[in-house]
This record gives sequence, C-alpha cells and structure tokens, in this order.
Amino acid sequence: MASIASACRLSARVASRQVRNQYGSTRAFHPAPATLAAQNFNMPALSPTMTEGNIATWRVKEGDSFAAGDVLLEIETDKAQMDVEAQDDGILAKIIQGDGSKAVQVGSRIAVMAEPGDDISSLEIAPEERSAPKQEAAKEHQSKQDTPTPANEEKAAISEFKTPPPSTASSKGKAQKQKYPLYPSVQHLLRENGLPKEEADKIPATGPNGRLLKGDVLAYLGRIQASYTAEQQKRIAKLTHLDLSNIKVAAPKTESEEKKLVKAPESQPAVPEPETEVAVPISFKAVQECQKRIQQSLGVFLPVSTFIARATELANEDLPKSRVAKPTADELFNAVLGLDKMKKYTRGQFIPQVTALPPTSLRATKPSTMKKPDIFDLLAGKKAVSPKPSPVSGAAGAAGSINVFSVSVPKGDEKRAQLFLKRMKMALEAEPGRLVV
Amino acid sequence: MFRSILPRAAPKSVLQSVRGAQTSFRASNIYFQDRLRRGYASEAEEKDLVIIGGGVAGYVAAIKAGQAGLKVACIEKRGTLGGTCLNVGCIPSKSLLNNSHLYHTILHDTKHRGIDVGDVKLNLATLMKAKETSVSGLTKGIEFLFKKNGVEYIKGTGAFVDEHTVAVNLIEGGETSVKAKNIFIATGSEATPFPGLTIDEKKVITSTGAIALQQVPKKMVVIGGGIIGLEMGSVWSRLGAEVTVVEYLGQIGGPGMDAEISKMIQKMLTKQGMKFKLNTKVMSGDDSGETVKISTEAAKGGKEETLDADVVLVAIGRRPYTSGLGLENIGLETDDKGRLVIDQEYRTKIPHIRVIGDVTFGPMLAHKAEEEGVAAVEFLTKGYGHVNYGAIPSVMYTHPEVAWVGQNEQELKAAGVKYKAGSFPFSANSRAKTNLDTEGIVKFLSDAETDRILGVHIVGPNAGEMIAEATLALEYGASSEDVARTSHAHPTLSEAFKEAAMATYDKAIHY
Ligand SMILES: Cc1cc2nc3c(=O)[nH]c(=O)nc-3n(C[C@H](O)[C@H](O)[C@H](O)COP(=O)(O)OP(=O)(O)OC[C@H]3O[C@@H](n4cnc5c(N)ncnc54)[C@H](O)[C@@H]3O)c2cc1C
Repeated sequence: MASIASACRLSARVASRQVRNQYGSTRAFHPAPATLAAQNFNMPALSPTMTEGNIATWRVKEGDSFAAGDVLLEIETDKAQMDVEAQDDGILAKIIQGDGSKAVQVGSRIAVMAEPGDDISSLEIAPEERSAPKQEAAKEHQSKQDTPTPANEEKAAISEFKTPPPSTASSKGKAQKQKYPLYPSVQHLLRENGLPKEEADKIPATGPNGRLLKGDVLAYLGRIQASYTAEQQKRIAKLTHLDLSNIKVAAPKTESEEKKLVKAPESQPAVPEPETEVAVPISFKAVQECQKRIQQSLGVFLPVSTFIARATELANEDLPKSRVAKPTADELFNAVLGLDKMKKYTRGQFIPQVTALPPTSLRATKPSTMKKPDIFDLLAGKKAVSPKPSPVSGAAGAAGSINVFSVSVPKGDEKRAQLFLKRMKMALEAEPGRLVV
Repeated sequence: MFRSILPRAAPKSVLQSVRGAQTSFRASNIYFQDRLRRGYASEAEEKDLVIIGGGVAGYVAAIKAGQAGLKVACIEKRGTLGGTCLNVGCIPSKSLLNNSHLYHTILHDTKHRGIDVGDVKLNLATLMKAKETSVSGLTKGIEFLFKKNGVEYIKGTGAFVDEHTVAVNLIEGGETSVKAKNIFIATGSEATPFPGLTIDEKKVITSTGAIALQQVPKKMVVIGGGIIGLEMGSVWSRLGAEVTVVEYLGQIGGPGMDAEISKMIQKMLTKQGMKFKLNTKVMSGDDSGETVKISTEAAKGGKEETLDADVVLVAIGRRPYTSGLGLENIGLETDDKGRLVIDQEYRTKIPHIRVIGDVTFGPMLAHKAEEEGVAAVEFLTKGYGHVNYGAIPSVMYTHPEVAWVGQNEQELKAAGVKYKAGSFPFSANSRAKTNLDTEGIVKFLSDAETDRILGVHIVGPNAGEMIAEATLALEYGASSEDVARTSHAHPTLSEAFKEAAMATYDKAIHY
C-alpha cells in the first residue's frame, strides 16, 4: 500500500472530507476553540500513525483568502506527499511554520486563520496552547453531550480515547442546532422523557444534512447502543451512491485503438498489463476414484466440472492481495489512514483453463485406449455421457489423466496465481471427496 | 478558460483528487492544444456542452444546461425527442395499460357496479391512435422546451471524432460537426435480443413491437417476467390474448421486488388469466412456421416442454447502447455488460466527457436518468450535484400496481440488518372498499433498533402514486413513527400507508 501512496500524489481531501463527516467537528483540523477571532491551524494527522511531517509548500500566501476546497499547503511524510485542502472559507492570517519546515509535530500550530471578511491587521494572534489538542477536543466533545445514563457515558468515553481520531469519529454523529421543525417522533420522545426542546441541539444527529432522527434520541436516551445510529448512517450513506466497485472493464477491441489511447490523459485501466501464464499439472486420478465411489454408493454421477468448480471456489478464498489491482477510493482512504494493513487478503477471481496434456509427454505406459471423460464436455454442463469408468481398468488407467491447469495474470501477480493453483492441486489430488460432501 | 467553465468541478471530486491535481491540469492542457491545432479552421463556435442522445437523460440535461446559461446542443437520431421512454417505453406502454384496463373493467366489472353497458367492442386501431396522440404531444412539448431554453437541437447520429468533436450524420442528409468543451453521452439502451430468435417485431417482438401490434394475438409467450414483460403481458392479456410468462428465476418482477409482494402480484395476475412458468429456462425457439415454437426446460433438472405462440415477446432485459458512437476514437471503455465506465460524478476517464442514463450504471429507469441529467449539469456549473441512489422508486403499472423504494426483505437479510416489518391490507381500507378494489397491501420495513424506514413495498391500487411519500420519508431519514404521526386524509388509499407505518412501530388501528 505504501507503494501506492508514494507512487501517486494523494490529495488529503479524501481523507479530510470523511474525517470531517465522521469526526463531527466542522473544522476537523482545528481543535482550538472556535470563539477566538483568529484560529490556530494545527498540523493535521493524515493517518493515525502519523506523528510528524514536513511542510513542503504553502499554496496560499499570508493575507490571502481561500475558499473551501482550495489547497492550503502540501505536507510530506515518509509515506506520501499530500495536499491539505480547506474545509471552510477563510483567510490565512499568519504562517507560523513556513515552507520546508521539517519534522513538524502533529497538533502543533502551523498557521493562524481568520474568518472571511475579518480585518487581519487588527487580529490578535493568541499564543499557542501546548496541551495535547486531540484529547482536549475529545473531552470537550464529551462533556457537551451530557449523556444521562452513566454506563453509556463511560462506554463512549473509553472509545473516545482509545482509538485515534478518524476511527473514533465513525462512531459518533454530531450535535448541532436543529433549524428545522423536529420530526414528530423526536418531539414525542423528548416530551415523553421530560427533555426540553433545546436538548435536541445537544443530541448527535445522524440524519441527512444533520437532521435529528428518532434513532438518535433513542441512542441519547440509552435505549439503544450509542454507536448503532452512526453505523446505520454509514450503511445507508453507502446505498446512496452508485456502486462502482468491481467494475469489470470489457476487453478493448483492437490493438490500434489502444495505441491512440496512450495519448489520452493518464488512461490507466484500459491499457492491458502484460499478462503471464502460470500453469500446474494436476492429476484427476483421485477425482475419478471419488466419482466412482459416489456412483457406486449413491448412484449419482458427479461430473468432473463440479469438482473443479468447488475447488476453484475454495482456492480463490483469501488469496494475498493482488499487486496490480487498482485500489478503490475506500482502499486509498484506508491507506491514507494506515488501516490497509488489516486487509491483506482478498478473494480471487481466477478461473483456471484446463488443458489435457498431450499423451506423448506422459509416462510411456499410458494406455492409448484410455477414455477419459472429455473435460470440456463436462465443463459445458452437457449431461455426462456416462463416463463408463469400466473401460479404464482399475486405477492404473486413470493415472494418466493429468491435466494442466493454468491462469493468466498481469505481471506481478504470479505469486497469487501460484498459490491459487497449488490449492487447486491440493484440493483435487488429495481429498476430492471433501469437495462434494 | 476551461477553469472558468468548470470552476470547481475538478477539485471538488473525491475520485478526481485521488488522481491528483495533474489530471485537471492535463485536461486543460489538451484543451488548449486542441484549440491551437484547430485555430486556423473557421468552424462554428465551440459549445459549452454537447449532449449525444435526446432521451430523458439527454433532454433533461440539455434543458437544465440551457437554463444555466450554457451554450448547449443536443443530438438525437430518432427524429423525435424523449428517447425510449417517450417514444417506445414508459409513455406508450402506460397509455395502453390504462386503456386496456378500462376496456377490461367495462367488460368484466362495471356490471357489478350497476352500470350496464351494451355491446363492448375493442377498436385496436383507435386504441393505438390514442397512444400516438399522447406520445406526439409529449415529444413536441420537449421540442418546444428546447426552443424556450435556447437548446440547439441537431437531428442526426452523433459519433466522436476526437475528445472535443462530434460528427453528426444528419437525418435529412449531409454531415456536420460540433465542438464542445464538455460532452455528455446519453445514448440509452436497447432490448437484449434472445440468442437464436430473430426479432422481426411482428411474430418475435421486443417491447417496441408489443406497443404496436395490429391485432390481438391468440397466444402470446413472454420470455422474461420482469416489469416490462409483465406490463406488456397484462395489456395483451386484458385485450384477449392467452399469455404465458416464462421466467428463469423463482420470482416475477425482477430481483428488486420484495419476494412476498412478488408472490402476491403473481397470484393476482394469475387470477386475471395470465399463466406463469417460473424456474424455467427457454432453450431455443423456432420461428420458421406459422407460429413460433419455444422449447423450455425446468431450470433445475431438465423437464422439457414446448410452447406454441402466435407472438413471442422477448423481454429479458435491456443493454446499454453505444454502437456507432465512435468510442474507439477516444478510447472510452465499457464494462463487461457494455456500460460506460464512470466515476461518482459521471465522468469518464476523459473528465470533460460524462455519461448519464441507461447507458451507464444504476437502474434503467427514466426518473433515474432524469435525476442524473440535472446532477451532471450541476457538477459542471456548480461543482456539486445530488442523486440519492438509495431512494429511487420502482413502479410496475399492472393492475394492481406494484411499487417499492429502498431495500426489500431479501436484501436486508443478506446485509444482516435486523428489521421490523409492518403491513396493512387494502381490504381493511375504507376507500379501497368503497372502490371495490381491495387487493394488495402496504408493507414497511424499518430498522429494529432505530425505527428508521429502510424500505416500503406496496402492491395495490395507486401504489405508484403512493410510493412518492415513502421516497420522501426515506430521503429525510424518517422513522415509521414519523409517518404514522402525520395526518392522512380520510377516506383515501393513503390511509393504508399510514396504518402500515403504525403497524410497524406500534399497532394499526383498523386491522
Ligand atoms: C417498454 C418500456 C417501458 C418502460 N417503462 C418505464 C416506466 O414506466 N418508468 C421508468 O422509469 N422507465 C421505464 N422504462 C425505461 C426508460 O424508458 C429508460 O430508463 C429511459 O428511457 C432511459 O433514458 P435515457 O435517456 O438514458 O435513454 P433513452 O431514452 O434510450 O434515450 C437515448 C436516445 O439516444 C439516441 N441515440 C443513441 N445513440 C445516438 C447517437 N449516436 N446519436 C444521436 N442519438 C443517439 C436514441 O435514439 C435515444 O432516443 C421503460 C422502457 C421500456 C422499453
């Protein structure tokens, strides 16, 4: 993952946006109290493990105003270089740590910001508070909530401190002034529980656009798990987007068309990576024996294709992550946060090509009369033209049924493919019976 | 220049920023190079936006762009605007559904209501004419809206020459080309053909043939029990055809329809005379004779059967339509289902080319296409657009109608979400009773913990109108209690909606 991070210059916006949504403070990177006319802008942590970073360049000059979304500065860590974008409109009143500052601690003040329209000449710049800003913010956040059930409060407090900000964030909505009429259910619950209407502004809200939902009040009252509403919010938020994961791009039409494409901007995915083929010979001896056994005992004939399909399923499970797969936005985000370490394995999509080895390359003893069930017939799902296990006398004949299983993979993914095929071999040669019972 | 048209679009996007600032820089670079290269040619001025396809996605985007003050042109090859939906889809099918329902009611139902009608005869030609009147009125209306909003309408087939140029083969002969800073692809979809059957739109038809049959077939086989198949099957069944629907899956209505609801509507349609063969695979068809022979096989385990039909409707789905568009000239890619690959802001990998509607991802629905048309233009002009794919309703306009929004029980179970279900039958609703139209239920699914509404599923009279309320509720994250505590007029069908909400978080009053 680190390679991806350093290969492309990431914009931290992906991260900061989500951090904002989940962390629930409008200025996720400004733990300083919002009451100051000028606000400290502290070194952001772009991943939970980041403790310090270098400031490459400020993209906004002192005295300039900026809009939400503008790149404020570039930060370098040992892993990546990232743009930090503004979450709100404002003015850059003063730069404290200038271009090229090295090893700037996360949380230390690097600039002072003012609100749009502020007269920065008359701004007084407060001295930096040196306390650990993260925890302070968390505490403040916590005390504001004033949760009635103590047990609940304790639980929340623990989770607040144990995990680093971005993931803490995911378990909390944000309390905010409820400008719209409250939902009937919310009003009812407040009344029923003797809470004044103003209390609504203190309840973390997980509805669309910060609206307060029935579930939020239930969580606030301790009737349901506090983290549940935020989890639900996350789940539903996912449904609101088109699912663009796992797009299988169709094979490009012709070579020459691809060429033209190269001049097209950074056209990454279309250009097919050079593919290599990985192959392993696998004997069907055990499978055929197993087939026979099943037919004798149960009277059903299981085609070889069934064994192969099941083995493929099994062998595809939890393969080491593909090195060439393009990371999804979610994965990139996790990478930025350093969470990617957790998910090293993914499900493979391999479908092996099966080719019968030419007889000559096999042991000389191979009987030419051997009638091996045609694998392609079987794969095509044709009703098994009963493979007549009898003509192949005993196990000896079947020993010849060695087939080559192969998959083509992009360069760099051979290891993954090898592991896949090794598992196929194991499954089909060692104990094929277990595949079908 | 590029920047001033697209003030925020590039830096705003999540995906874009992953690719880095270079992307937008490079894009504008190419734009400038293009300008330089073409500098000496004295062609028509460049448009801000050119849209290929005048279907719902395309025409809505065009009007929206016109309203936003962009210089916009829309290319459509059909000769009329409105695309599949207005010409051969939603609108004509609903015209036939409505009128065939009236006919069917008069034939079978009005007597019990105390209305004796004399000789009832079907005049299919006039029925079709009524349909055409609706269609032409609506498509002309769009043409008028184009004029009103300053949209240039180019009648012809568009094809990419390069990333900024579209050549148009004009319907009236000749060729022209337009250049644009931004291009939207909105070329829609077409019926997926059935391998082995040749569509002639007479004996072997798609929905396009099904809205234009010249006589009522005696026997009709519908391949595919999805929404389009069931709607068109209903029309011809009501008009007198013996309709058999063959569906590969174990339920009708497609995978989005709640399984319980699907079973209910299947029963109701069966009562109306339609026949269903579920879990049945069509193996092949033979259209060489007078009638068409369809051989089928049980999906699990081979029971074979041959069906005979005067007309076979192929309704196994629709696929994105991009042929002749010249995608290869600009290297745009589709996925394995032919959908153009986009990001969350509808951009292709060439960021000034966006794709909306049926030709890309998401449900193939007119209102989804419409939402995307607006959102894509807003991404251009404002850097932000909004389509909530979690709250797009689906409606099947059979009688009774089926409508749903959000997730169904199968999906919630698969996602491991604990939910409560509450339902209310129309047979207990006063208005449905007075209308003598009492089949169906309203069903709410809400979260077991928070009561937040996760899905609403209706089969019943007017379900398609009623689902709007559910969609609004979903959009606002409402709980079933919120709906239950909202006043609904009496006596209306919508009271069933309210009572179902009550049944979900508490108890219904009238059941
Ligand atoms: C029978 C039927 C019933 C339906 N009923 C409903 C319904 O009740 N509700 C609902 O929501 N949806 C319904 N749909 C689906 C709905 O019609 C589509 O979702 C909708 O039309 C999609 O709009 P679109 O703009 O993406 O594509 P289309 O409407 O398909 O429009 C694309 C247009 O682009 C034009 N075009 C293509 N290529 C080119 C080119 N190279 N140059 C110029 N022009 C080109 C085509 O001629 C076409 O007019 C129905 C569909 C069918 C077939």
